Amino acid sequence: MFRFDVYIPRDLRDALEALRIYGEEMLPIGGGTDLLVLYRQGLVKFKTLLDLWPLRSNLSYVKLEGGLVRLGALTTVEELESSELLKDKRFAGLKDACRTFATTFIRSLATVGGNVGVAHPLSDIAITLLTYDASVRLRSLDGERVIPLKNFYLDKRKTVKKPEELITEVFFSEPPNNASSVFAKLDRRVGHGMGYVAVGVYAELDNRLVKEVRIAFDSIGRPFPERALRTEDSLRGKELSEDNINRAIYEVLPKEMSRINDYRASAEYRIYLSQVLLKRALLEVGRRIGGE
Amino acid sequence: MSKVGVSHASWDTYRDIEISFKVNGKEVKVKVKPYERLIDVLRNKLGLVSVKGGCGRGECGACVVIMNGKLIPTCLTLAVRADGSEVLTLEGIAPEGKLHAIQKALLDTYAMQCGFCFPGVIMTSKYLLDKNPNPSEDEIKEVLDGNLCRCGSYLRFVKAVKLASKYINEGKIFFDESEVMR
Repeated sequence: MFRFDVYIPRDLRDALEALRIYGEEMLPIGGGTDLLVLYRQGLVKFKTLLDLWPLRSNLSYVKLEGGLVRLGALTTVEELESSELLKDKRFAGLKDACRTFATTFIRSLATVGGNVGVAHPLSDIAITLLTYDASVRLRSLDGERVIPLKNFYLDKRKTVKKPEELITEVFFSEPPNNASSVFAKLDRRVGHGMGYVAVGVYAELDNRLVKEVRIAFDSIGRPFPERALRTEDSLRGKELSEDNINRAIYEVLPKEMSRINDYRASAEYRIYLSQVLLKRALLEVGRRIGGE
Repeated sequence: MSKVGVSHASWDTYRDIEISFKVNGKEVKVKVKPYERLIDVLRNKLGLVSVKGGCGRGECGACVVIMNGKLIPTCLTLAVRADGSEVLTLEGIAPEGKLHAIQKALLDTYAMQCGFCFPGVIMTSKYLLDKNPNPSEDEIKEVLDGNLCRCGSYLRFVKAVKLASKYINEGKIFFDESEVMR
């Protein structure tokens, strides 16, 4: 059933050249935890895989440099989770996302770039990176493009990335000391949990006053991770109190969110769950920033 | 490295790629097809049938092995990626005729029913105990949560890993067959 060729590149340039030569018949494979499953189901077709694993020597890193947090595209979720950087409370949401990400053995393969690139609602790392207002660095033989993650997705499994481009890095500016984040999801079981609903919250607080808040859900209406911009607006500049949170989740959020019915959960339940998880996340982020 | 960059000119899906890697301490050289997964090579070409094919899509944890110190699902790993690596399967965790503390602990706790998930469970437990010889109950559950056991022996796995951790901390890593309850 498995029938394809694999191209093992020497370096990034060689990989980009191969992508140009093979065109759409070649697909890059990072961890492969999504691509090979889709291939088995017949949902994706290719003749050749471009094995990105040899590029890990250059594209697997977690660093904080010159006010930028930079994550190499081929950093695995496990490496991200165990990185020094994530011990900092400012990145607590990323830590949550890594800890609850699939299972131990998937975390050792799944990559940051892959999670961002698959354009699927249930991309925990991408949801959290959205709350950090991250950008995606794309490389091709023609050079480099930087796309803000919030403009990266077009539809389910569709991004602005061209077939001859590779994601090389995801980066965002270093959050200030009064910032932290939370990632929360809920599923019937914890192991392998994909979440009926997943939410990421990033906030900067000044004495309980919300200086900046960014909220991202697995889906707001379209089938990919997106920010809940109106809910954010309704919280910005206000005190992070239970009243203000309740107003945001009961009055604003349902107006901008529409959810789907499927075999996993009903739309009604998903909206209810989004409200509950968002409230928990906002309260938790307040506690985290307060150092509790 | 002759395999690097070879396929620029052809679509030859049936070509052989020679890879060499260490399996359970032994250096092996084997010819693989580009589309072969590590599980195919370990089972069919190297005869390491402890690596079980369950779901084939990274959900059940039956096919996990330790590769370069990481726990990986062999059903989602291309065989060519094993080139130059070090792979440990269940066959290699204890010397011939001996049992590893984890195996002994699983027998002591009567955890085995059908046993299909065991190779995966044992490798996952070994991965955990290598990293952390004194895991808490929550840590054990967190790491083992990807290993599906349809007989439902989960609670006994937790007991067994705790027991194995006790054995290992007492310095008892390998057990003779005679010490194992029958």
